[in-house]
Amino acid sequence: MTNVSEFAISIRNLSKTYPSPFRRLRAFFRRAVKDPVEALRDVSFDVRTGEIFGLIGRNGAGKTTLTKIVATLVQPTTGEVSVLGDDSVRHDEAVRRKVGLATAEERSFYWRLTAEQNLMFFARLHGLSDRTAKQRISELFVKLELEELARRRFGEMSTGNKQRLAVARAMLSQPPVLLLDEPTRSLDPLAAARMRELIRSQAQQDPPVTIFLTSHNLAEVETLCERVAIISGGRIRAINTPQHLRSLTSKSEQVYVTVSGLNGTNESKRISFTRQSGDNQLDEKLRDLQQRGARILDVDVERATLFDVLELYESGDTDEH
Amino acid sequence: MNSLKLLPRRIFAFVARDFRLFVSYRMQFFLRIVSVLAVVTTLFFISKIFAGFTDPQYSQWRDPLATWLTGLAVLNYFMTGFSSLANSIRQEQMQGTLESVLLTPINLPTVIVASSAWDFLETTFFSFLYLFFGRVFFGVHYRGSFFLAVVFLLLTTVVLACLGILSASFAMVFKRGDPFGIFLGAGSALFSGVFFPTQLLRQYAGPKLGSISLLLPATYGLDGIRQVLIEGHGLAEVTQPLITLLCFLAVLLPFSLWVFGRAVKRAKREGSLIQY
Repeated sequence: MTNVSEFAISIRNLSKTYPSPFRRLRAFFRRAVKDPVEALRDVSFDVRTGEIFGLIGRNGAGKTTLTKIVATLVQPTTGEVSVLGDDSVRHDEAVRRKVGLATAEERSFYWRLTAEQNLMFFARLHGLSDRTAKQRISELFVKLELEELARRRFGEMSTGNKQRLAVARAMLSQPPVLLLDEPTRSLDPLAAARMRELIRSQAQQDPPVTIFLTSHNLAEVETLCERVAIISGGRIRAINTPQHLRSLTSKSEQVYVTVSGLNGTNESKRISFTRQSGDNQLDEKLRDLQQRGARILDVDVERATLFDVLELYESGDTDEH
Repeated sequence: MNSLKLLPRRIFAFVARDFRLFVSYRMQFFLRIVSVLAVVTTLFFISKIFAGFTDPQYSQWRDPLATWLTGLAVLNYFMTGFSSLANSIRQEQMQGTLESVLLTPINLPTVIVASSAWDFLETTFFSFLYLFFGRVFFGVHYRGSFFLAVVFLLLTTVVLACLGILSASFAMVFKRGDPFGIFLGAGSALFSGVFFPTQLLRQYAGPKLGSISLLLPATYGLDGIRQVLIEGHGLAEVTQPLITLLCFLAVLLPFSLWVFGRAVKRAKREGSLIQY
């Protein structure tokens, strides 16, 4: 049985097949009938309360479908999803009260309304009083550096600012679970760094906000997420910490050491060697170099990344973990 | 806080949103006012052709201008009743905002009521404008209980809104090609007696085609409102159209809500909420 306090999101044997609309009718009129699309197959995992959980996979892997099912926008074919104890189909209204979704979809706002008017509309739908809504909106504008754009029409905002507004909308009602679909996709590097900081701070606040993040920026997922799920062809192929997933591809690391003064010469030299993560080779090599009179200028370690892991699962060269 | 307590706030959210969108197109608003005045003026001159020639058996048509203006004002309302929800759903789908609205913790009846609220306010204004221009510029007189006329108007509008909910369900699933809008829009104007007495239809088109008007709720609504405003009838004389409208409501309201719920579920199953 699901422990409500421990898990924010629980997914059990979830499958989703998009049916071919009006299949019989189209067949009757001898029109081309599309095959049903199997988007998710027997997906099961839990997201712990206060965790930053990442979901990575290629386009069409099933990330958006999974996120939309959690947000109650799409109904599963079989299986169950619960958010803080509420079932996403039977108690969808209760789930929507606990979930905020930010997507990179620009069309989800009213283009002729200002940023502030857009947020006000959604705040009222969430049941916030005008006073509370105004206060919350101005807090969010400060947090997301949108103060100067409050009275600008949504259609006149840059793509990055539209994306920040989508995150602000998701946070309007202070939901305990945030579903973020590529929250930094169109942001400049500085804004992206601030967004990551904001996401981290949400998970650390009291009570903590659970973050379910999907992204194609694997470095970002690696930095932010405590655990990552890899989805491919609608199946979850692996779930673990980024470190553990990296170690699945290769246990070895390439080390590059830049030294000067080796064997009495002044010129700098770059030496490379391969080590197994956690072995003593690095320590021994550095000691040896120092004994030979070398001054260590730089040490660079090249490890496997989540990109390598994703590539590995996409190539089908590994078992599920 | 339960949904019922939050209902006014949510309706206000939709009204405020639609008002802001509306005022962002100011020119359109002024052009509509001018077009209402143009229609009323045209009808005034056409009515002068028939002055004194109206058949006495059509008691509601002694002053054709008054009858046309009430017909148009009420038809305007009825059209909103059955088209506004489908239009707003289709518009939200085309804009891509329907998912964002359905992501908030509001239930289906709230979406239904709230998303049409502005349209009804706007229509009230323009319907009133027909009557107002008739009264002020062309001396049209209305009598009878204004309150009773409003009761008829509201009841008929709610009945037509049920058909509007069915129409919106169709838009939700099929995305376009809404047959309710086409049939009811053209049908109400032709068969419910907006421009001519329904008796004429039976007389010239035969009893079968003429009886179509008996199947349209708008016929009873319009008849009731004209009986009150033009003939000055009281409640006791308009019970027949009133009871007929209540029967329509008793059948259509639960049925349309059930169908709309099914349509939303189907769209969620197909993942087609933002498709159009």
